[in-house]
Amino acid sequence: MSFVLSLLIALPLFATPIVYALFKVNRRLGIYGSLAISTVVVLITAYIFWQVYATPPAPGQYLFQERYSWVSFSYFGLDYLVGTDGLSSPLLFVSALLTVLAIYGSRKLIDHHEAEYYSLIFLFEGAIMGVFSSLNLILFYIFWEVVLIPMFFFIGVWGGPRRKYAALKFIIFTFAGSTVMLLGFLYFYMGMSTPTFDIPAIQTLLLTHQVPVALEYLPLLASFIGFAVKLPLFPFHTWLPDAHVEAPAPISVLLAGVLLKMGGYGFLRISIGLFPNASAEYAWVFLGLGLFSMFYGAVAAILQKDMKKMIAFTSINHMGFVLFGAYATLVSGNLLGIQGAIFQMFTHGLAVGCLFMLSGFIQHSAGTREIPKLKGLGKIMPRTAAILMLGSAAAMGLPPFASFLAEFMVISAGISASAFTAISILVPVLTAGYFLWMIKRTVLSPAEGGHDVHDMGWADVAGFAVFLIPLVVLIVASYLVLTPALPVAQFLKGLAS
Amino acid sequence: MIDYLTGAIVILAGAALLLPLLQLSKRSSEKLPGYLLSLALGVAMVFLLMFTINPTQVSWSGNLIAPDKLGGIFALVTVGVTLAVALASIDYQKGPSNPVYYSLLAFTALGMVLLAYAQDLLLLFVSWELMSLPTYVLAGFDKKIRSNEASVKYAIIGAMSSAVILYAISLAYGLTGSTQISQVVQQFVNHPTALAGVATLLFVAGFGFKMSIVPFHMWIPDAYEGAPTTISTLLAAATKKAGFIAAIRVLLAITTIYVVTQSPLFTMANVFAVLAVLTMTLGNVSALTQKSMTRLLAYSSIAQAGYMLIGFVAFSNAPGSAAASLGLTGTIFHVINHSVMKGVAFLAAALVAMQLRRSDLKAYDGLARRMPLTAFTLAVAFLGLAGVPPLSGFWSKLILVLSVANGPYAWLALAAILNSAFSLGYYAWLIKRMYIDDPESTEKVKEPFWFVMVFAVMVGLIIGIGLFPQQVISFASSAASSFVG
Repeated sequence: MSFVLSLLIALPLFATPIVYALFKVNRRLGIYGSLAISTVVVLITAYIFWQVYATPPAPGQYLFQERYSWVSFSYFGLDYLVGTDGLSSPLLFVSALLTVLAIYGSRKLIDHHEAEYYSLIFLFEGAIMGVFSSLNLILFYIFWEVVLIPMFFFIGVWGGPRRKYAALKFIIFTFAGSTVMLLGFLYFYMGMSTPTFDIPAIQTLLLTHQVPVALEYLPLLASFIGFAVKLPLFPFHTWLPDAHVEAPAPISVLLAGVLLKMGGYGFLRISIGLFPNASAEYAWVFLGLGLFSMFYGAVAAILQKDMKKMIAFTSINHMGFVLFGAYATLVSGNLLGIQGAIFQMFTHGLAVGCLFMLSGFIQHSAGTREIPKLKGLGKIMPRTAAILMLGSAAAMGLPPFASFLAEFMVISAGISASAFTAISILVPVLTAGYFLWMIKRTVLSPAEGGHDVHDMGWADVAGFAVFLIPLVVLIVASYLVLTPALPVAQFLKGLAS
Repeated sequence: MIDYLTGAIVILAGAALLLPLLQLSKRSSEKLPGYLLSLALGVAMVFLLMFTINPTQVSWSGNLIAPDKLGGIFALVTVGVTLAVALASIDYQKGPSNPVYYSLLAFTALGMVLLAYAQDLLLLFVSWELMSLPTYVLAGFDKKIRSNEASVKYAIIGAMSSAVILYAISLAYGLTGSTQISQVVQQFVNHPTALAGVATLLFVAGFGFKMSIVPFHMWIPDAYEGAPTTISTLLAAATKKAGFIAAIRVLLAITTIYVVTQSPLFTMANVFAVLAVLTMTLGNVSALTQKSMTRLLAYSSIAQAGYMLIGFVAFSNAPGSAAASLGLTGTIFHVINHSVMKGVAFLAAALVAMQLRRSDLKAYDGLARRMPLTAFTLAVAFLGLAGVPPLSGFWSKLILVLSVANGPYAWLALAAILNSAFSLGYYAWLIKRMYIDDPESTEKVKEPFWFVMVFAVMVGLIIGIGLFPQQVISFASSAASSFVG
């Protein structure tokens, strides 16, 4: 039995107190220690990612499976069960990578309670690794909830002026959503003839038609509420702009790059993976909601003055692609949809993570994030401006960034779903519109007033390059993500009877 | 050879009777009675544990005592809470009448142990009184106006609930000619007359006062707020649970009868379901608006009683089914967890009240910087009470909700889930106040030794049971099957 995934979950969790102690000794030691531990985590996820690519598990199979009995009594059985496949391995990798980058950026942007801050980052990372590798619904739920606690403190303690309000709103919204999701799981469990919480076992039952289709509807609705809050989907998104605006920039990176992926992952792994028949029956509803969210996020982003809020709405727009692509495959049978959705989650994490981190740097050196007040960045802060242009290009899906390929795949699945959903091809136009307008106002405008702002150093530029280089590499080597994603797409499409 | 249960009873009775003698000695230390009682309670707990692991017949008791695991769990939980209260009181309770205070605690503990095992209505009533009467005095022990008011209010309502129970017992005896719970229940089920329904409802009301079920809850916030906070701990975490064991023994056995009329609306399951949803909703909504910590904890305690009733619903709805077994297990498990979580929350509130001389919520602003251990304890207890995994409260709520998740009472599961999410509103808000808001003064406050020890053990239990629930769950599960089988 392999132990890699357990190591991956346990390492950050055990690092939590260690990093705290390191910071109490010395600040430099703490930061180098955090970077070292999180880099080891990246290497482990890279190994997992490579293994899943090299030997992609067959449809419905999982690599690195581990199972231990955890709780069982007369009518109740619960195992610790983890495993990974082409759906979760890219997310594990991108989450670990973004954690390193968030830590790297935090060294300049976080200036108080650092010991608590960095140790909570590791609690967050451990829980995220758990979410993406759990193959048991209750285990999944537990990690899912543990993610909330550090995020609550990140926003509440290290956030902006309205941080207290944003933190409470965030935790109540997401907790309410996820408890409803849990109820759906429990309803499903009690309704099965051979009750189990194990995802592979339930999928076997589904393939042999041992789960009544009527049982799927309510859990699908319940899980939809849980995941729609996280994704977030209009109209469950209202916590997101508040949380993003108040959160410090590195935490926004984790929020957008990692936390939102939990929603997209949940839709693929659980909504489609466990309730396939109900999902297929109502696929057009999800397709419509995803499409609406794409447009809504884009239009709302145009209206924003705060650069960070604009990027926050971009996330709503981009995550709409994930839902849209996933359900476009169910409607049309075109596998590009699910493959594109997985790819989109990967690229969105890096592109938007880069922009969020950048907004933190801009605020740090220019003192504001208001787009109308930022003028002449191209003259005053040439390196920052260059990164801003490249990051925007990545976010709007311009080649040679892999986001182009991801959006292209999702849209082509949308076109094969129906003539109406082909309208999704207009979304990238809107996205490009507001990004270019933002660049025109900030980078290309003439400079005004004081020149006392300072540009970022080359060390920071290197940090930003780490966000963008994988995107360029992946447009050439897209098979790294797409090859293992193919069996997942085939399996999810084939589940519905 | 005497059995362990008798041993525990003798120790508790001895402590109760002998401690006041210390009052006669002028030179004894102020803290001595507290140490003596804690020692006695600790030994009694060991004896109870031995007895629970290996139950034997209690020779002297005739048919009065049921030596089962169910009683064992409740006896252990209530004596354990009393031990925590006694230890915390060593630092909290000052004054010359200490020996009497600890003696009264011992009487209450004795009453709760007997009640846990009682299978005869008369023993049940006697131990009920033995448990309740000392708490009336203890609630007024501060000799301040508020404390006395709380004591009087609590005593009057308590006397009324005792009267209601006694009336129910007299009806039961009149109808069945027996005070054995099993025989009374048998007769009630076989001859479900209207009068039997009335007696059942009277039992619900009488026990409901102690269990803090809406609409029998009005005394709770006032009594908890006025009483010394250590005694509020005892009321919320121990005597309340005694109400639950009485209800389990008497009411859960009466499952098949319809209450008062034969209409299918008036089943026991429906009665419990309505009470449960009222109790949890009213408790949570009221908790959100409180300005004092003790009142907030009181209302949250009411809400938690509502969750525990879910198990009653599942059990009464389909006795013998998997859901019934899950439900009773969940109730027992939640009783254990709630005792620990609410007990430690109240003790932390007691410490804050003692050190800062106030209990309004403003005192908790920035508490993490002034009393870090207390604030951490409260944060863990709150997250546990809200049902956030992986803490102990999560598992018991999970099993409770699971027991009704699919079936006629799925709406109750939804209500419980939404209540849980709603309750995080005030729990997270308090955590926010303690960790994020700024304190009025940043001066460090002393956290006394015994309080910290009690906090450490109880926080350890909340997290430990949360990570490794297997042992306690299977214990609760076997207690549930000892009741059914």
